[in-house]
Parts: sequence; C-alpha cells; structure tokens
Amino acid sequence: MNIELNLAKTLNQVRSKLLAGLSNTDREAYTHLVDWLRKTDVASGALQVGDTAPDFLLPDVHGRLHSSEHLRGDGPLVVSFYRGGWCPFCNAELRALQAVRAEFDSLKANLVVLSPETGDLPRRLKRELSLDLTVLADVDHAVAISYGVLFRLPDETKAHYARQGYDFGRRHGSTEWMLPIPATFVVDQGGIVRGAFVEPDFTIRQEPSDILNKLRQLAGSQSDEPSLFHE
Amino acid sequence: MELHQVRYFLAVANTLNFTRAAEMCNVTQPALTKGVQKLEQELGGQLIYRERQLTHLTDLGKAVFPMLERALASTEGVRRRAREFRQKKVAPLTIGLAPSISASLVLEPIAEIRKVVQGLNVELREESPSRLVELLLEGVVNLALVGDLEDKPDRIDDWALFEERYVAVLSPSHELAGLPVIGMKALREAIILDRLDCDVAPKVHRLCFPDALPHYNHRSSRDLHLQHLAAAGFGIVLAPEHMPRLPSLKALPIEGDPVWREVRLLAVQGRRYSPALDAFVKVARLRDWSLPAGSPLQTEQRGHLEASGMVARLASPIS
Repeated sequence: MNIELNLAKTLNQVRSKLLAGLSNTDREAYTHLVDWLRKTDVASGALQVGDTAPDFLLPDVHGRLHSSEHLRGDGPLVVSFYRGGWCPFCNAELRALQAVRAEFDSLKANLVVLSPETGDLPRRLKRELSLDLTVLADVDHAVAISYGVLFRLPDETKAHYARQGYDFGRRHGSTEWMLPIPATFVVDQGGIVRGAFVEPDFTIRQEPSDILNKLRQLAGSQSDEPSLFHE
Repeated sequence: MELHQVRYFLAVANTLNFTRAAEMCNVTQPALTKGVQKLEQELGGQLIYRERQLTHLTDLGKAVFPMLERALASTEGVRRRAREFRQKKVAPLTIGLAPSISASLVLEPIAEIRKVVQGLNVELREESPSRLVELLLEGVVNLALVGDLEDKPDRIDDWALFEERYVAVLSPSHELAGLPVIGMKALREAIILDRLDCDVAPKVHRLCFPDALPHYNHRSSRDLHLQHLAAAGFGIVLAPEHMPRLPSLKALPIEGDPVWREVRLLAVQGRRYSPALDAFVKVARLRDWSLPAGSPLQTEQRGHLEASGMVARLASPIS
C-alpha cells in the first residue's frame, strides 16, 4: 500500500513538474485543447460502467495478435489508452503502471495499454522506457472509436503539434490526425465495464492505486470466499 | 466519436442516399441524420453535402472515409471472426507478390493470423506491381506487397513497411567472393544473372549500369533457377537482402549500397475487409520487418521453396 501511495505521489509530482515546465505556447495550446474537449463534450460518448465493452483483436509490438476475449479469460482486463510516445504525461503514466505491474499479476488481471501509433514506434517506446507491459497498437483507432474516446484534433492544436515536429499522420499510418482521450477501463470477465476513467484534461491520469483498488473490489464482489486482498 | 455515428456516416457515404442509409442501419432517417450531424460537430466540419439531387462527400468526408471504413471493418471483423469460427467457414486470402518480393516475407504474418482465423486458405500470386494494382481493384487479390510503385490510384491504401538494399549473391568459389564489398567496376565487368520480368531491373540498370546493360549471359524467371546457376559459378544474382538464399551461396554488399527500395503493403480503400485481411494488415503494420526474414528459412529445403518465386497455393497449413 505504501508503495502504491508513493507511486501515486510520484505520478502527481511528475504532472506538476511537467505542467510547471510548459512554455507559454505549450500552456496556451494545452488550455485550448482541454477547453475544446470539454466544450464539444467528446467524452460523453465514452463507455460507462455497466456498458458492454466491444471486443477487439490487436497486434502487440512484435506483430502478435491478442484478442480481448482471451485477455479477460482468467480475470479482469484493464484497458488503458495513451496518446503516444511523444507525450511526457503518457510516459509518466506508463512508468507508474510498470512499477505496479506485479500487483496486476497478483490480482490475476491483464493490463494492456493501447497506442494509436504503428510501425516501430510502440516497439521503440517499450524499449526506451524498459516496459514489460503488453502494449497493443490500436491500428486505425478502431478500439478508441468503439470505446468512444477518439477525437479529431482541432486545427489550432494540429498546427501547434506540427510546429513541434510531430506528424501524427505518419505516426499513426493515417492521413487524419486523431488521438484518444487518455482513459482507463476495467472490464470484467464477462466483458462488462466495471470501471471507467475518462478525463479530457490529458495531464490527469487515473492513479495506479485507484485501478488496483477497483480490481480488488471486483475480486471481492465476485468471490464468495473472503478476499485475499486488503484495502 | 461513437461507433454508431461512424456506421451512419459510412452508410451514407456508401449509398449517397439518407433514406437507404437509414434502412441499412435499421434506424429512422432523423436518427441517422442526427448521428451524422453529431459526428460532423466532433470532426469540426461538414462530411456530406446535402443537396436535393446530389448528395456527395465533402473533402473532409473523403479524407476521413478510408480510416473510418477500416476501423469499422476491424470492429465488425471481431464479431464476424467469432461467427465464422463457429460455422467453420473457409477464409480465403489472396496475397499478391511483386517478382522481387519473396514469399518468405509473408510466412510469419500468415502463421500469426492462422491462429485466430479459422479455415484460412492462402493463395500467393506473383505479378508485376502494375498488374497487382489491377487485380486489387478487380477484387481478385486482397492485398499486395510490392517494391517501388510509380502510379498508384487514389483508391489504393499504401503503407511503407521497410527499406532494404540490393546485394550481390554469388558462389563462395566466385572470383569476387573473397572481397568484403563488390566494387562497381568489378560488378560491371562480371556476368550478372538476368531475372526476367524483374520489377526492380530498370532501377538497377539506372543506378549500377548507367552506360551499358550488364553482361547478361544467362537468364530465368525463377529465382531458384538463378540461384542454382550462381551456385554453379555461372554468375552473380542481384537480389534484395531479404531474399532467402541457398546455403551454398553467399551475399556481399555492393560498393556504396547504390540500390535501395521500399517494400510497401497495398490494399483497396472502401472495400469491406474480411477478418483475415484485417488481421494481416494489422500484423503487417506492426511487425518488425528489420528482423532477418526467418533465419530458419535459410535451410536448404525452405530455401528451395521460398526462392522459387513461384505462384504458390498453400492449401494445407504451413508447418
């Protein structure tokens, strides 16, 4: 528990530090995008607790296919959408998830992180961050659409990222510039969404400790036996 | 963006008729119109011009159509795959290969999708890149791997998979085999084995033999035949680096690596992807193509098969 709290603190610290380090231009672009996402209410179409999570079949960084049905075969499935290896907030989240990966294993939960990027980018990210997580490529954003978290970048944001040298068309293998809202879903073995964290402010991520708590609740509610896990 | 909005938009885009699109989606026309309008709001622009006589896609509609079409096919493909799995249906997949593309490149992706697609029946077909484009548009070939391609219709989706160089393949007893690199002068003086109908030959001529054609004394339309000729000391084969070789041959780089080409994956836009095609495209867009094209393939038996360049029908599972 202490480890989790420390990690949560670290994730928040990283966020504060990254926010403090934003240039005026970056801050302006950040504010504009978050305001736009809230105004257009893009997140309102996201899956909610109780919804059925659409199944998917996606390749990992080695080109091996993983089906959601198989991934939730032995326990709950945690699906985390991130924006890409270029986003420092996403990288902080991935590191935090990596740090508690063993906790997911002990809860018999499968954690997968979904990247909109294709080609060798997810592979490189895994290597650079020394990730032992299952990173799947959401090719053509199909899962982000079916989970209701995909949006097309407004022109101002697109221009901002283009000035920074990011070419999302090339990174995603698509002509259109689209991104997922960072989001985390807990899906039970029956394919029902039991936890949904969807936050248009892309600097705020669900704390790994909160995800683990949700998994423990799920384990407790699904078992007649006394829970092995303590809050 | 929600899946039903995407489905409504694609139905309108495919029929250019709101009434028929609503029937296809089994919703009322106002519900369909509302869904499309919501999608337009989210995408930041109009997707469809609604005119009394002429409903058509806007530039934005045309731009997002291929990606949304593939995304929907992917989502529906998961359900279709499960249904076809239960029904034990045959899942045909015809893969076109340009003459300079070895079948060894597609074996691993095929083996991967065979794990998830029941009844996969693969046909490998070798044709020139321009013919492959025609076959794609005709629906005869589901996807194609080609090298350089000059004219590509807009309706063809195109992903660059990897770049590779051309190398000199020769017998270890060849007089140039002891060199670390084959110089351009030596290459121009050597006997080159002519791969008939090779799609990369014009590029090789332009970059390595700009003044005079190579000394082509022997030729074949089969890579395997050329490799046997090379092994017997008849000359040098210029081949892409991924091409599996007979164990009795060695490959040497050419001075300055003058010939490079990009290997590309082609599929047709706007055509409903089968689960097998969807899975192949996904795997192809992620796998690490820089890996040696299966070192086990360098065994003589597999080398014979893969270097043959023949149109192969794989009726039985690949072991």
